[in-house]
Amino acid sequence: MTAMIDLKNVSYRYPVSDDSVLKNISFSIEKGKFTAIIGNNGSGKTTLCNTIRGFVPHFYKGELDGEVIIDQTKITDYQLGQLGEKVGYVFQNPFIQVSGVKDNVFEEVAYGLENLGIPVEEIKVRVEEVLKLVKIEYLRDKNPFELSGGQRQRVALASIIVMDPEILVIDEPTSQLDPIGTQQIFEIIRLMKERGKTIVLVEHKMDLIAEYADDLLVMHKGELVMQGPVREVFADPEFEKYQIQYPHVTEIALQLQQSGIPLTFLPIRDEELADALNRTEVAAHD
Amino acid sequence: MKQNILLQLHPMTKFFFTLFIFAVVLISPGYIFSFAIFPILILIAMLAGVAKEFLNIVIKALVTVLIFIFIMQMFFYPGENVLWEWGIFEIKQEGIKYGLLLTSRILAIGSAFILFFRMTEVRDFVKSLEDIGLPPMGAYVVLSTLQIIPEMRRQANTIMEAQKTRGVETEGSIFVRAKAFIPTLTPLILSSIAGTEERAITLESRAFSAPVKKTSLHQLSKSNMDRALPIVFALVVIGLIVWRFFL
Ligand SMILES: Nc1ncnc2c1ncn2[C@@H]1O[C@H](COP(=O)(O)OP(=O)(O)O)[C@@H](O)[C@H]1O
Ligand SMILES: [Mg+2]
Repeated sequence: MTAMIDLKNVSYRYPVSDDSVLKNISFSIEKGKFTAIIGNNGSGKTTLCNTIRGFVPHFYKGELDGEVIIDQTKITDYQLGQLGEKVGYVFQNPFIQVSGVKDNVFEEVAYGLENLGIPVEEIKVRVEEVLKLVKIEYLRDKNPFELSGGQRQRVALASIIVMDPEILVIDEPTSQLDPIGTQQIFEIIRLMKERGKTIVLVEHKMDLIAEYADDLLVMHKGELVMQGPVREVFADPEFEKYQIQYPHVTEIALQLQQSGIPLTFLPIRDEELADALNRTEVAAHD
Repeated sequence: MKQNILLQLHPMTKFFFTLFIFAVVLISPGYIFSFAIFPILILIAMLAGVAKEFLNIVIKALVTVLIFIFIMQMFFYPGENVLWEWGIFEIKQEGIKYGLLLTSRILAIGSAFILFFRMTEVRDFVKSLEDIGLPPMGAYVVLSTLQIIPEMRRQANTIMEAQKTRGVETEGSIFVRAKAFIPTLTPLILSSIAGTEERAITLESRAFSAPVKKTSLHQLSKSNMDRALPIVFALVVIGLIVWRFFL
């Protein structure tokens, strides 16, 4: 498989800060994979997203060492405008993600396509489709400035996926959403994965990460401390050290294990718990 | 909704009309002609269904200025024929004449521009400028400023409300209101400066600088009227120039 996103020994320091925010980070993400970045606040997740999108160093100056390679091309060899088509980036803060020149959600979502020079007829079709997908058809005539946080998050996501980029970088897209809304967002991301997109998601909701994501990158104080398939990372005893939440079921399973109940494997999805317990029983009977 | 023929004209046609009035006023001699333009503008505003707003703004924005200018000219324009005098104040005939000329021109040109903005959506006007080559960044700046003003007003209100709950007086004389309002400016300005950086990345994430020609859902169309009227305006202006300076 080809690497879509490839970082080699990347370190970065913001212009005004004394300390590096990213410290010697190396990883590689294959085309079509869904990778979640987790870590506590301030650990550098958003900065890492900015680096993948090329806002570091094209927009945020400061010192960048190492190599960032997107689809076989060094990020410094792209023009800022070219990356827009390739890497879609949904920001953490939904309140800043309005173009500020459109009076309704339909036009707001269409804005990126206008900038890409897509013919008007095609724009209309694509926007309709995305509004339906993200379940915001009912907002189409609303002013983007008059939306709630959760509605803005959906509009922001719609505005990016309508542009159909190969890579999607999504920073905490569900912070303002209720559990049902969150689930819906993950379903949309899954659909994007089925369409062959490479996805990088920053999220704190471990249950959903365990259910949907392929791989994990664990950030801790600017370092990439663990990486690998989701299940392996959660099962690694080292994970506990970083004080990041486990999926609920994993938390429970670990408690059970501590109180002496043996498990054959560490469950990360709810439906696996019974399985993990049952199999030990069978093993005990033998 | 927008069934009115005048309103439906292309923004450039309306803009040419405004320039046309501008040219006519400057070319034509004396003040009678220029004063006569104002009723014509009122008539157009009535036909376009915007007479009320139009008159309202003209009265608010122009009338005091005009009176002030007229009085200044009446007293201070140099001239011989003193009509009335009181101490150092003298009203001169030349002053009255010049005052009338100046005010008639300002009234005609000013109200023509007011009428233009009453009859044209700024969004449409900017689009028409973009069509003839205004760079997208320029268009963006104009449109986003227009969108952001109500947003900032909303923010200012929120801050004022907060001040009020903290016991700061926000109502009363201009002085009291200014005292309450000025402290709100700092957070407003700071947040809009911080906003510009974020806005720049937001635009970038929406492919604003993609190296292609942009398309637009918003299209303006030109009717036969839009093609004919500018030619009529131009001919009239040329006719006036010939009449005024060559005959
Ligand atoms: N624009 C900036 N300028 C300077 N320092 C920044 C900037 N953005 C973030 N930081 C700092 O970088 C560190 C990592 O921040 P961030 O990447 O936002 O973390 P996370 O997304 O994991 O919460 C923090 O210590 C933060 O204070
Ligand atoms: Mg963050």
